[in-house]
Amino acid sequence: MATLKEIKLRIESVKNTRHITNAMKMVAASKLRRAQENILQARPYADHINDMLKTIKLKNTTTSHLLLTDISGEGKTALIIVTSDRGLCGSFNSQIIRKAQLYIKKNSNVDIICIGKKGFGFFKTHSKKVIDSYINLFNEMDFSVSKDVAEKILNLYLQENYIKIDVLYNEFKSAIQQDIIVKQLLPINPIESENILKLDFLYEPDEDTIIEELGRKYIHVDIWRIMLESSAAEQGARMTAMDSATDNAADMIDNLTLFYNRARQAMITKEIIEIASGAEAIQQ
Amino acid sequence: MDKLHLEIIQPTKIKIRDDYDHIIVPGVDGDFGVDLNHTPFITKIRPGILQLYKGKKIDKYAIHDGFVTVENNIIIIVCDIIENENEIKYKRAEDSKNRAEKRTKSSGKDIDFRRAELSLKRALVRLQLSVK
Repeated sequence: MATLKEIKLRIESVKNTRHITNAMKMVAASKLRRAQENILQARPYADHINDMLKTIKLKNTTTSHLLLTDISGEGKTALIIVTSDRGLCGSFNSQIIRKAQLYIKKNSNVDIICIGKKGFGFFKTHSKKVIDSYINLFNEMDFSVSKDVAEKILNLYLQENYIKIDVLYNEFKSAIQQDIIVKQLLPINPIESENILKLDFLYEPDEDTIIEELGRKYIHVDIWRIMLESSAAEQGARMTAMDSATDNAADMIDNLTLFYNRARQAMITKEIIEIASGAEAIQQ
Repeated sequence: MDKLHLEIIQPTKIKIRDDYDHIIVPGVDGDFGVDLNHTPFITKIRPGILQLYKGKKIDKYAIHDGFVTVENNIIIIVCDIIENENEIKYKRAEDSKNRAEKRTKSSGKDIDFRRAELSLKRALVRLQLSVK
């Protein structure tokens, strides 16, 4: 049986763990709030660009700009996998990696682009088709950072003849729920909207230039939104994971304390018996 | 409605949401003024100075890229960067101008000329605004 001292040390160490997981939970909660604010603030910009693109696409059924036109037939595709840079967030990363593996099995000829260290760490050893990776971006999330990523992806798409680029990421539903989503990033497919601008517009300079630039902006803000969603989902997952870790630590402390008290009681009983039997021996 | 409603939307926030009398926007094909009942219009913005007239007051902003939509006296500008005079640091703008100039003049292969040129344009616009 463990000695009293050993049990005491054990209790101390579990208490420390509980402190840490509790602190991590708080930090995750505040980061989650910030990410949520950013998501809300990005919405008007994203909506307006979507409306403009949709308008142009509806008016000009003849345009065949590369960013907007579906390419039929066979060809190589790319998958962007968004994971987190850090661990300790429950099944956040493992779930997305599992989904990614299914996707890769289903579609042949898929190149992989990783955003986030965890996904990259997995796929660089399990797949030979990782063509690009962006790690340690989530610490200092900024629009200009995501814009650089978006530009690189755009250039890849325009130069390498991909028929499409999909993105796989966690969408934030609530602090305890994340949904894994596969979305087509390129070619752009503007979502339906009620605010389609109805009038006949004059364009300056010409439509193709406008579409090209608008398309680029659309991708910039889409990548920004996806990264924010993923980061919010990550923090939510971490919050839940750390919350149950804190609960588990508390349970463990309870059990250990009980164990400690029992051991102490047993020792006291043993000592009393010794004294009592010693005294009896003297009397006889 | 006898005022122009202007919204300037950035990816991270809505910078301005206000009514103005007259607005001058630096479009790619030249500056253009917007008054009441302007024809519906979409254009790209070039680096330049955006001027907003409200009564006798003129607000000036350095703007570097983006799009403007004019429809029914509602003007929506989406852009990544926009700054007013107070937000521009003269010293910093001058430094970045010199840096960009040096880069456009050098002949190294690893230099992205398009980027250098853009950053030079941005610096010039900033300087123009902060001198005035």
